[in-house]
This record gives sequence, structure tokens and C-alpha cells, in this order.
Amino acid sequence: MGDRKSATGELTNGLVRSNPLLVLMVGLCSALAVSTKVENCIFMGVAVIFVLVCSNVIISLIRRFIPDQVRIPIFIVIIASFVTIVDLTLKGYFKPVYDRLGVWIPLIVVNCIILARAEGYASQNRVRYAAMDGIGIGLGYTAVILIMAVFRELMGTGQIVLFEKTIINFGTSSMPVIFIMFPGAFITFALLAAALQWYQDRRKPEEGGGS
Amino acid sequence: MFRYVLSLGLRLTLVCLVAAIGLGLTYSAVESRIVEMELEERGKAGKEVLAPLDAKPQEIDEGELAALQEKFPELVSVFEGIDENGNLVGYAIVVKGKGYSFFTMAVGVDMEGKVSGIEVVQHEETPGLGGSVVENSEFLYQFIDGGPEDFVLGEGIDAKTGATMTSRGLTDGVNYTLEIWRDITLKGGQ
Repeated sequence: MGDRKSATGELTNGLVRSNPLLVLMVGLCSALAVSTKVENCIFMGVAVIFVLVCSNVIISLIRRFIPDQVRIPIFIVIIASFVTIVDLTLKGYFKPVYDRLGVWIPLIVVNCIILARAEGYASQNRVRYAAMDGIGIGLGYTAVILIMAVFRELMGTGQIVLFEKTIINFGTSSMPVIFIMFPGAFITFALLAAALQWYQDRRKPEEGGGS
Repeated sequence: MFRYVLSLGLRLTLVCLVAAIGLGLTYSAVESRIVEMELEERGKAGKEVLAPLDAKPQEIDEGELAALQEKFPELVSVFEGIDENGNLVGYAIVVKGKGYSFFTMAVGVDMEGKVSGIEVVQHEETPGLGGSVVENSEFLYQFIDGGPEDFVLGEGIDAKTGATMTSRGLTDGVNYTLEIWRDITLKGGQ
């Protein structure tokens, strides 16, 4: 991580330069699994942003209180608590979404993105930056799964259904179903990662392949 | 050394304690809402599958349900279908099943063991494949008015191409509810 210290810098950092999925390539399993439906991704993204920001803020607040030797258990307890809060709230108020996201909400606990930000960023930086970092990384994650979901849902089913309304409809017959399934997730992801790399290389040719 | 370990332990305990209190508060705030949502979801499905019989669902009492669940672990809930004259005309049985992934379905069965309606309450089947089978009632229509004999996939029930597991899972699910129906009605019932 660099030493840049501007709140907006931290925000945009997560979107492009340190995009958790396309650049750092962490937290991929949930992204590949959830991105079959745009609607799922909206909720998943909000859940991840919420957990990321809350855990980042709390960890940054108590960073001097946390002994080094037991920091990982403490991080996990804090993250797991926020995940459980999200889990219970979705179960109570958004039952259909909760059913569809299934195990992926509880699994946010072990999402590498969140632990990595706690360990690598929040535990070493001031609250303001930790919060911005959480928002930035969270938005980066959400943006990527949304793009993936739009592509996959459209290619795989020929339509995008959002909150029980069909937003786009190509006609549902003879679409390549593979995009809805796991091979399609990998193909879509690889295309996006390549596109971002290409874009960055073109902008800063002297930096080449990054760090 | 001892004091050092104690300090680590205490700090970890303190964090856990605060987290536990926070979670306890959250849970007590949403608990009633969660139970309500689950009941509403099942009740809605029960109403829909009993609608062809012009009956309203009424959940059987907890003791009875628990006794049935001991025999049928995948059973979620049973509703009695009561028509406008107060007669028992059928049952709506909600069970869990497994296709390619897990699902919950409600099946309405009348007193002769004929299927009056099927509704998949919740599922995690692949969108576009198994998902389109459970959401599209074309496949499910095949069961209507069948029973009380078990359904056999391939004989009267056609599996959907590309969704064999889901088709099989749903067929097994319907057969399972018929088994439960047999158990309920053989006892003489009310």
C-alpha cells in the first residue's frame, strides 16, 4: 500500500488501482457465485459495503487497544458480528433475497477482502481514512459484480429482471446458458480483468504490470 | 508472563462481550419479524395450492406437527384446507427437497389424494436451467390431479431437458408429500 493520505484518494483507490476483485483478486468465490442476477448483486454489494465500512471503522477506532498477538481473532469477531447483523436484517425484511443469496451472506465473514482491509489497512490508519477505504473497496467490489451480473444475466437468460420487473428483454429463447453457469463466470471475470489491465497499461505505459 | 496472557485474554473477552451484546440486541429487535416472514411465506403458498379446492389454510397445531416431523424430517409445515362450510377438504403440505440445490415446496392434496396445486416457495436452482423449471409452472402442471399413487419420472411426468436433477427433485418432493398425506389420513384424522 502506498502512503498517499487523502480521503478521496482512498475512495478511488479501491475502485481502480486496488480493485479487490480485478486487481488484488481476492474475494472471488462470492463474486463468481452471486453474479448470476443483478438484483442479488445489489444486495450483496450493499451487504459487503456495510460490513467493510463498519468493521474498518471499529477496528481503526480500537486499533491501539488490540494486542498484536490476538488481533486476528478480534478482527474476525468484529467482522462476524456485522455479518450476522446483516444476515438477520435480510432474513427479517428481505426474505426472498435472503433465500436467494443463501450461504453467501454468512460467508462474507471469511471473505478475504474484509479481513485483508482490517489487517492491511484499518488496523494501521486513522478512522477517517479507514472509512473511506471501506467505501472505496466496497464500491469496487460492487461495481465489478454488477457489471458481471448485467452481462451474465443478459447473455444467459436474455433478460434482466429487477424487483420482479423486466428491465431489458432480448427474447428468452436460445441464449447461451453457459454464461449463467460457472464457466461463464470465469470467462466474464477474465474478460473484465483483462479490460482493466489494458486500460491501465494504456494510461500509464511506464508502470507496466503494476507492483 | 501470567499477567501478559491475562491481559490478552481479557481484551479478547471484552471484545467478544461487546459483540455478543450487540448481536443480542439486534436479534431481539428482528426476531418477531423473522418468524412472521417465515409464517407469511408458508401461509401464502398454502393458500395458493389450496385455492382450487376453495379452501382456506389453517396450520395444524405444533404438537401434531412435531410428531409428523419426527417421522418426516423434511416436513416444514402442514395446513388443513377448510372450505366455507367448515369442512376439511384437503391438506397443504410444505416440504424441503433437493434438486440440483435445495428448495422448499408446498403441495395441496385433497381428501382423495389428488394433487390440487404445487408451488415452489423458495429455491436455489440455477437461474435459466432448474430455476426456469420451478418458476415456470409447465412442468408442475403435470402433477395436478394426479395421485395418490406415486409419480414416476418418465412415465407420465416428463423431465425438462437440461434440468434432470431439478425435475427428479420436484417429483421426489411431490411423492414425499403424498407419503405424508397417507400418514395423516390413515390415522383417521379429524
